[in-house]
Amino acid sequence: MNAISILTCENLTIGYRNQKTVIKEVSKDLNLNLKRGELVCLIGPNGSGKSTLIRTLAGIQPPLHGDVWLRDKKIDDLSSEERAKSFSVVLTTPVQVGYLTAFDIVALGRFPYTNWAGRLTEPDKNIVISALASVGAHDLAQRFIHELSDGERQKVMIARALAQEPELMVLDEPTAYLDLPHKIETMRILKRVAQKNKKSILLSTHDLNLAIRCADQLWIMDRNGTMISGTPEDLVLSGIFGSAFEIDGVSFDAVRGEFTIPVEKRGTFSLIAPESVERIWTSYALERIGYVPADGTVSDIIVTIHKDGQKPVWNLSHPGGEQTCESIRSLVESISVTCFLGDDSH
Amino acid sequence: MNLEGSETGNSIRRFAIAIPLIIGILGILFLIDLMLGSVNIPPDALLTILTGGAAKETWTTIFWDWRLPKAITAVFVGGALALSGLLMQTFFRNPLADPFILGISSGASLGVALVMMSAGFCGVGIIFASIGLIGDISISVASILGAFAVLLLILLISSKIQSNITILILGIMVSYISGAIVTILLQFSDEASMHSFTFWTMGSFSGVTWSQLPILVTLLLAGFIMSFFLVKSLNALLLGEQYAESMGMNYNRTRIVIITTTALMAGVVTAFCGPIGFLGIAVPHLCRALFVTADHRILVPGCIIIGGILALCTDIISHVPGTGIVLPLNAITALFGAPVVIWVIVRGTRFGRGITT
Repeated sequence: MNAISILTCENLTIGYRNQKTVIKEVSKDLNLNLKRGELVCLIGPNGSGKSTLIRTLAGIQPPLHGDVWLRDKKIDDLSSEERAKSFSVVLTTPVQVGYLTAFDIVALGRFPYTNWAGRLTEPDKNIVISALASVGAHDLAQRFIHELSDGERQKVMIARALAQEPELMVLDEPTAYLDLPHKIETMRILKRVAQKNKKSILLSTHDLNLAIRCADQLWIMDRNGTMISGTPEDLVLSGIFGSAFEIDGVSFDAVRGEFTIPVEKRGTFSLIAPESVERIWTSYALERIGYVPADGTVSDIIVTIHKDGQKPVWNLSHPGGEQTCESIRSLVESISVTCFLGDDSH
Repeated sequence: MNLEGSETGNSIRRFAIAIPLIIGILGILFLIDLMLGSVNIPPDALLTILTGGAAKETWTTIFWDWRLPKAITAVFVGGALALSGLLMQTFFRNPLADPFILGISSGASLGVALVMMSAGFCGVGIIFASIGLIGDISISVASILGAFAVLLLILLISSKIQSNITILILGIMVSYISGAIVTILLQFSDEASMHSFTFWTMGSFSGVTWSQLPILVTLLLAGFIMSFFLVKSLNALLLGEQYAESMGMNYNRTRIVIITTTALMAGVVTAFCGPIGFLGIAVPHLCRALFVTADHRILVPGCIIIGGILALCTDIISHVPGTGIVLPLNAITALFGAPVVIWVIVRGTRFGRGITT
């Protein structure tokens, strides 16, 4: 199953050129390849050159060296109409426009296809409706764009990009300023669009956890402008993913696939409980207050979870004695009182 | 999916229903404008005059030499001002933009002042009518060039500076500068040209003669037609320059066409009728609220018609019917236009940026 390459670039150098003399290279020797139906997340710290890359790939900014290829054509050789039919964009800045319905906005995506007056034919209208349906926004069609929430508006903008019927969709931070459920929903929509509508999608994001879970390919740009690409899982296993983002005190937990919040270590714990949701969340709570798993050695505290009917009960045993708690809150409080305060008073 | 029939926006269908109605209102106001004034011509006499019958001679003269060219001027000028306001608001993505505020009218004034004063110096003549056809054309050209120069200046600034507010303030500053130059010019001119210039700045639909009217109408119609060809690009520009370009719009070409069209309309209007304020800013907002859309396929024709209606209204009011008093047109447009702008600002804050272009 050899998928077609939609976007390729070889030995691409991106950056800025002022008055044709001063050159600021942001990143060089980029070799990238985006296949049909693939979702690629471009991630990297602020200032690493993600936006420059996106602008270069979208043809807004010329590369300093090398070429960007869309299928078998150089992007520079395409007319603006051919470009518009090959790829569409969703920008970070929200559109500020009143008195336009979601339908009107999505219909603007038909721009490269309509006549001089922008009249929509029946097929155009059907494409607009199905684009709205693809992102689950068909019920928003007649709502005014300025009345929509951020999440709804983002759906409409994705639908607009889809109505342009491109092969490649480029999205600049589509999940910024959305809350977590809407971030996930947006990614879910994009994944479905990539798979069902067979579009290639390139998006930049700061949501690393989401990127690991959703992307078919990750393009990681580090602070020096070096680009590493690969499958998210490979990048995690090889440690590249973690090292690209770790800063002082913040480290990547390859097992959980997320960045851990550093806490001061207070002691070790043993947890005696069957595999369950309660077990997982109890260990999270213990880690949050500074306890790490004892891993076979003698631990400072032992927590046992009993399922007493429906409600779980936590049994805490420590050098000073034993206690029974009915919630994680009281467990955490007991540990704080008996262990931390006890230590201080010595 | 229950979208059939409703999807292209109810707005277009609503507009199709509203069109005969608003054209009807335009027609009625046109007739009222013909009848009312310092001397009121009764409807039956109007009918006789129109059908070529014999009516009171003063009425016939007033009608043909005065009222008819004035009413025709009002309709076209109102439409042109509204349309250039709409183009500016969409282009600068600023609800407060109009040819007047951005200094385009001031640029046109400067051009006109230069021509009028120099005509005064040369002793050729001072008042429009006495300059003749060549004078009319030179005044129009000077006015268009002045408008164009200011627009280019603003455009140059706007390519360097992103903030719309800054551009707006710079536009106001440009008006001050050209106003200052005009004031200095006035100091060196004779009293007659000073008087005719001051009269010109108050704005009037009455100064256009039959020989000038074809020039005015032809040039403004050209502006209207150019605007119709811009609707698709204007709609794309609602999403911003970058989106518009990503959809295949040629931004540089569109920009030149929008600026030329605005400078043409604003320049011609200013040349013949003086700098008329508020119609340009207020009418596009009224149209958006009236037709509940920002779609330029509706707003362009809508602005032409509603602009004509409002221009006729202000003209009727300024020639206080039944009296010999003529109030300055600019006073009337400001009196009725300013509340609209206030409404825009107040509503604009309450509904976020809902009211904007």
